Amino acid sequence: MRSYIASVSYYLKSPTLLFMFLVIVSIVIARIAGLTTLDTLILLMAFLGMAASLNIIMGFAGYVSFGHAVFLGIGGYTYVLLVYFFSPLNSLQHAAGGIGAFMVAIIAGLICAIVAASVGAAVLRLRGAFFAIATLGLNFAVLYIVKGIVPTLNPEQFFAAQVILPARALVHKSLIFNAMVITLTVILLTNYIIKKSRFGMGLIAIKEDEDAAEVLGVPTFKYKTLAFAVSAFFTGIIGALISLNGGGVDEAIFRVGHTIDMIVMIVIGGLGTALGPLVGGLIYYWLYDLLLVHYPGINLMILGVLVALIVLFAPEGVIGILRKYSIGKVKLKDVLE
Amino acid sequence: MANRNILSLENVTKRFGGLVAVNNVSFNVNEGEILGLIGPNGAGKTTLFNVITGVYKPEHGKVIFKDMDITGKPAHLITRLGIVKTHQIVRPFNEMTVLENAMIGALFGKRAGRISITEARKLAYEMVEFVGLVDKVDELASRLTIREKKLLELARALSAEPELLLLDEALAGLNPKEVSEALELIKRIKEEKELTIIIVEHVMHAVMNIAERIIVLDHGKKIAEGTPTEVANDPNVITAYLGDPKLALRFVKERRISQ
Repeated sequence: MRSYIASVSYYLKSPTLLFMFLVIVSIVIARIAGLTTLDTLILLMAFLGMAASLNIIMGFAGYVSFGHAVFLGIGGYTYVLLVYFFSPLNSLQHAAGGIGAFMVAIIAGLICAIVAASVGAAVLRLRGAFFAIATLGLNFAVLYIVKGIVPTLNPEQFFAAQVILPARALVHKSLIFNAMVITLTVILLTNYIIKKSRFGMGLIAIKEDEDAAEVLGVPTFKYKTLAFAVSAFFTGIIGALISLNGGGVDEAIFRVGHTIDMIVMIVIGGLGTALGPLVGGLIYYWLYDLLLVHYPGINLMILGVLVALIVLFAPEGVIGILRKYSIGKVKLKDVLE
Repeated sequence: MANRNILSLENVTKRFGGLVAVNNVSFNVNEGEILGLIGPNGAGKTTLFNVITGVYKPEHGKVIFKDMDITGKPAHLITRLGIVKTHQIVRPFNEMTVLENAMIGALFGKRAGRISITEARKLAYEMVEFVGLVDKVDELASRLTIREKKLLELARALSAEPELLLLDEALAGLNPKEVSEALELIKRIKEEKELTIIIVEHVMHAVMNIAERIIVLDHGKKIAEGTPTEVANDPNVITAYLGDPKLALRFVKERRISQ
């Protein structure tokens, strides 16, 4: 038994191996699973990835980006419009078995990072609730800009702000699935690396007491901006992949509900832990599904009460609580992040 | 080495709206000394510390550290250059352990970016040991007593490997026994770490006891500078700060006895 625990903790301690294993399993899944299953898994991973990327700015640095769905939107629209209007990108999409599509998604992510870094220079000077409100404002500002601009781009084809990808721009679901697995894996690895690094310790110090952190030498402004940009980068890639998966994008992608989902998943799993968004996201998704099946109609009400109870009685989240215990001689704190 | 200036303030003025918190203050700090900075509440002591550490930018004047003009530089850069302060009201990172708190000091201090996590952990551990908190090393900072939190502030500041340490009321809130222990620690820091220390303090006999030189502020102005004996006998200081000349004489006597 003891050697079994030791070997499990060894593998958990080397997350790279674990994540590589994950990727291989997913490639196999992509080969054998049906389209519906793939679709479900893509959406599940999109959820988890969103939560894990918001965790970088919210969990570590303590800045609640309440309009984080804006980066899903910017990523999604950038992707779709790039593919729609630039035919070279359109052919790049299909290059090397769909890897090109992933490249375009990364470009969309980069644009999100640039937006986050420049907007962050202003809004990251605000703290607490003011930052949350400012990001929410950003979400709506971008939404109305999109609503205003997109219909003028191609008045005959675009109804409102909806853009549907032409059939030639679509790629097979298994490719999107693989891209999503890689994205999620990289996001989780990034969380893990940040948690273990000097950058991560600086971010946590900012969350605890920003002024004290600055006086102790933490370049607070640079760190916050970097964390915000990295977070936006990954959220943007997910937004792009969601749009590709859905065959287009409309203004629903800016829904504040997306951001609330992300926040709830992080809080259930444990703020500022690398595994928290993954665990919290799975629990949230499972609860959501379970309640929808058994209590249709009042499912969201029950979910809301459950979430409120969790926040009241277990604010550290699942990982936060588990970290306090140990199995035999193995302290879970050393294993879980 | 003796009497080399490590820090010079030249005509520093800091205003908050109409209030002049620090008014045209100049002084030098010699390398390796303990300088006391005293004055009644609202005299501008903490503001002056905040100007030196870059938290506030002064309206006029210059702050020179080791022949370098550091006026208005961001606080985190000044920390890297070697000036670190402890807070009047302790501000540990509550959800971090004692060791992690000290590691922040080490990772972002003098060797910021050049020190590995392992080295930082080692250095932080040494400093926690140095201030005598080693049995609390894995405790969350929020669980410490006030005395322990003050020691943690010191350990965190020392982990940054400063050349100039600013102590803002490091003794406030401690009982007499703890005060004398803390004074011993400060002396030990100065000797073993070869630091220059500026100490702002309300516990009067403590400053008289430990400081080699004292500067007195009142309403943002420097009103006296000299050895503890000189300062305590200065008529300006007696009227502005101590109020009662007999009290002042008593402090001086206490100092003589303690030496």
